[in-house]
Amino acid sequence: MRSLLSISVHVYGAAAVLYLAYLIRQSKLLPAVGRVLVGSGLVLHGASLGASLFAQGGVPVGIAQGFSTVALLLLGIFFFLDVRYRVPVIGAFLMPIALAVLVPGLIMTGTGEVLPPGMKGPLLPLHITIALLGIAAFGVASGVAVMYLLMERQMKGKKFGVLFARLPPLQFLDELNRRLVVWGFIALSVTLVTGAFFVSDAAAFVWRWRPTEVATLVAWLGFGALLHARFFAGWQGKRVALLTMAGFFVLLVSLVTAFPAAGLGGVQ
Amino acid sequence: MELLLVGLSHKSAPLAVRERLALSEPRQEELLKQLTALLPEAMLLSTCNRVELYFAAPSAEQAREVAMGKIAEVGGPEALEHLYERRGDDALLHLFRVSASLDSMVIGEPQILGQVKDAFELARKAGCAHGALARACGAAFVSAKRVRSETGVGRAPVSMASAAVELAKKLFGGLEGRSVLVVGAGEMAELAARHLSASGATDLVVANRTYSRAEELAAAVGGKARPFEELFSLLVPADVVICSTASPTPIFTKQNVAAQLKPRRFRPLFMVDLAVPRDIAPDVHDLDGVYAYDVDDIQQNVAENAAARAAEAARAEAIVAEELSRFVRARAIRDGVPVIGKLRARARQIALSEVERTLSILAVENLSERSKKSLEAMAIAIINKLLHQPTAKLREVGPEDDDRLADATAELFGLDEAADSLAAGGKGGRS
Repeated sequence: MRSLLSISVHVYGAAAVLYLAYLIRQSKLLPAVGRVLVGSGLVLHGASLGASLFAQGGVPVGIAQGFSTVALLLLGIFFFLDVRYRVPVIGAFLMPIALAVLVPGLIMTGTGEVLPPGMKGPLLPLHITIALLGIAAFGVASGVAVMYLLMERQMKGKKFGVLFARLPPLQFLDELNRRLVVWGFIALSVTLVTGAFFVSDAAAFVWRWRPTEVATLVAWLGFGALLHARFFAGWQGKRVALLTMAGFFVLLVSLVTAFPAAGLGGVQ
Repeated sequence: MELLLVGLSHKSAPLAVRERLALSEPRQEELLKQLTALLPEAMLLSTCNRVELYFAAPSAEQAREVAMGKIAEVGGPEALEHLYERRGDDALLHLFRVSASLDSMVIGEPQILGQVKDAFELARKAGCAHGALARACGAAFVSAKRVRSETGVGRAPVSMASAAVELAKKLFGGLEGRSVLVVGAGEMAELAARHLSASGATDLVVANRTYSRAEELAAAVGGKARPFEELFSLLVPADVVICSTASPTPIFTKQNVAAQLKPRRFRPLFMVDLAVPRDIAPDVHDLDGVYAYDVDDIQQNVAENAAARAAEAARAEAIVAEELSRFVRARAIRDGVPVIGKLRARARQIALSEVERTLSILAVENLSERSKKSLEAMAIAIINKLLHQPTAKLREVGPEDDDRLADATAELFGLDEAADSLAAGGKGGRS
């Protein structure tokens, strides 16, 4: 199955090159081929990951598989957005991020981490999948936020260069950010609730102030406050973009600390 | 007489310098009056993209001094750093190119020819465009009209207004359902309003100092007119603001726009300033979520479109060069024959042809050669007596000092047409 994953990484790499080239060269062929490549990469990647997960009972084990899943979900969201809104420019920003998440995992796999007993249950795969989906949504939102900040700089700097011509309109990026953060926040909320159930089931405690728990809670509160400010105080634009990126960083901390935590492989 | 141009444009000077030199019409007239006291011919071309002084003077040096003095006086000493200067046929070429809209911010934009014509009209009324300068303008207009009718440069022009709409789309995506506030009800405002509603903007509100004009424009573009006093509260529902008033000072400042941001719930606001001097203070753009652009910023955005017209522009340049050399040839012939000579030659020609006509009517065979001679002499004598005073006056003034009298003479007696037909001779006449 590893060879499948390795092929998909190469396919993604090729797509990333095409999307980056599209920034410089306006040709409809580049993103069209890129779209096909991402689609086939997703199929290969999904097959590889699915097979591994099936063998393990549906739960990603270890940081490598966690990252691989995040990359898959992230690219899946991008693929959906590109097909739906035709915004291949996002690819130029997201593909490199996805690869950066995926490649280290590829090198690290095979450490043979196993799930400790007592961590199984129907809720666990659900909990983890939704958690990772939330992280992926916030990842895409952060990529969109980076694009927003770049475009905002162009509009404020009054330098109408290549980026200005290629990047989508500011309001579109802001609206996309809003939707992604809403869905990410919903996913994060579900994660927290299912996580609480799952942990209390497994180890008879609810809250232990582990870094994962703290980081996730901080991110949840932060995004909650952000959405509140957006809907009730009219926050938008640059401030929201910066906060989205900060929130995503906190979530990444939560993801990294979740896996090795106490050698449990527990994800909160 | 030498032609001189001193000026600055969007190519040489930033907006901040240009707007100080953009004068209202009464002030333009006043400046012209001051200039004519010093120099025989002067014209002031003042648009939102350029301020240029054209002179015809015996000494270009002297004219230059005068121009520099005036520009420093009106625009401050830093304006001098952005000036360009053309003399003789270079100045002529510049005038031709400007009139043909080849030197415009948006190449081929149609307003410039009218603006040059207005400038010429103003100078003519002030009595400071009658000779060399007037002829140069006339020829420039002919070439500009040829450029417009024979090339595609002026077709489907990318106007400032449509460029502003494109810029707005980079903020909002589409303009469907957006609210637009139009401040000022001039031609620019109307053009912008039409572009915006064509792009899908639905709520158009017009505010103008003269309310009746606001009502007219609103009716023309299907919007609503509102009193100018409500201006700042009108910012609250607006997504796009287009300004093009003749206000000498900014209407929108950082303070008065900032005060509306909270009631707007910090929605992004797109502001376009098509006016020179500016209606929107430059620091309004520094406000978070406010994007304010002036004519210079928009120019940057249309640079690409201008490139697409390069081929047509090359054809236009060829037409301008052709018209220019035609004009220069005609002028050489004209200058080669001084006015006094031309006047006398013309009069003599008329006298002799009249004598001939009379002779053919009379019974010629009865007339002795002597009588014929004396008839001729009489005709010439009348001409000479009649022309004595004008000739003496023209000699007295001398052509080097002042062309004005000579030009008036040429105009009164229609001497230029004679020169033109000479110039066109061998080419089978001109259209």
